[in-house]
Amino acid sequence: MSAVPDSTQRVVIVTGGSRGLGAGIVRSYLDSGDLVATCARSITPEVEAWMADPETADRFLWAPADLSKVEDADAFVKAVVEKWKRIDVLINNAGVARDGIHSLFSDDDIDTVVDLNIKGTLYVSRAVSRRMLARRSGSIVNISSIVGLSGYRGLATYSATKAALDGLTRALARELGSRGIVVNGIAPGYLRTEMSHGLDEDQLNQIVRRTPAGRLGDPEDIARVCQFLTGPGNSYLTGQVIVVDGGLTS
Amino acid sequence: MTTAPADVEKTITEFLNRVDKMPPSLTADLALYADGIGLDSLETAELSAILEDEHGTDPFNDGEMPETVGDILAFYAASA
Repeated sequence: MSAVPDSTQRVVIVTGGSRGLGAGIVRSYLDSGDLVATCARSITPEVEAWMADPETADRFLWAPADLSKVEDADAFVKAVVEKWKRIDVLINNAGVARDGIHSLFSDDDIDTVVDLNIKGTLYVSRAVSRRMLARRSGSIVNISSIVGLSGYRGLATYSATKAALDGLTRALARELGSRGIVVNGIAPGYLRTEMSHGLDEDQLNQIVRRTPAGRLGDPEDIARVCQFLTGPGNSYLTGQVIVVDGGLTS
Repeated sequence: MTTAPADVEKTITEFLNRVDKMPPSLTADLALYADGIGLDSLETAELSAILEDEHGTDPFNDGEMPETVGDILAFYAASA
């Protein structure tokens, strides 16, 4: 059923919000009373819980989607607009990592990572920015990674895609800034989520030892920065990639 | 809103007023870009998005870029 949201409620899209960092960001926007839509290729217990909870069920939209396919990306954005009439916030979080020495990396792995991390983000951003242009307002956050800035052995393709998102952030900020749309990126450090599973325990312990904050990041650390960047008070911070890594790369 | 010519013209007029490029009269042969109304690329993208929002479809995403106001009206007339 379609409904016009309360004017104080933002309509938020978080791509890839079914688990890990994305789920943490979804939870944050649900906690702040907003209307939240997310998609991923498969449903998870977290998503089922939000759909069943009377506190969130009416403010939560889930759709299965493979955002590397343009028709899925367009259909997902269209479903959100049909339900809630507008989009105020887009968090481009969907991404996939494959690790391996690049000289041995398969064609399939390159395609999988590039298609979702870059093409999927471009498809969703295009569809959403059209809606934001029509209303002349909106906030977009691209979730990249510190490996897009520093690189990481075994993550060449993933690092390349995250660096590409940083370029997208700067270009879209320039393109859309005059229309009241702010675009920023967040480059998380190493988080305690599934995406860190490519790293073994020794590597994670080494990262913790080198991190001034003395711990790995949590999804909440990133969600707080998303809230700040997309809050109603931010109309001037745009085109930046904020590193949130506990000081690891400082 | 419907795709009737009057409704489409209303959408175009409201948009041109918003970007402060409303000509003295909106005629079918009026060019949208440099030699006519003077829409730039971002304004064209805005018009495209607004037309889709208001009328469900959008001539700018149909493969052939409209050159004049009449091209936009003709797109909706053909799909009516």
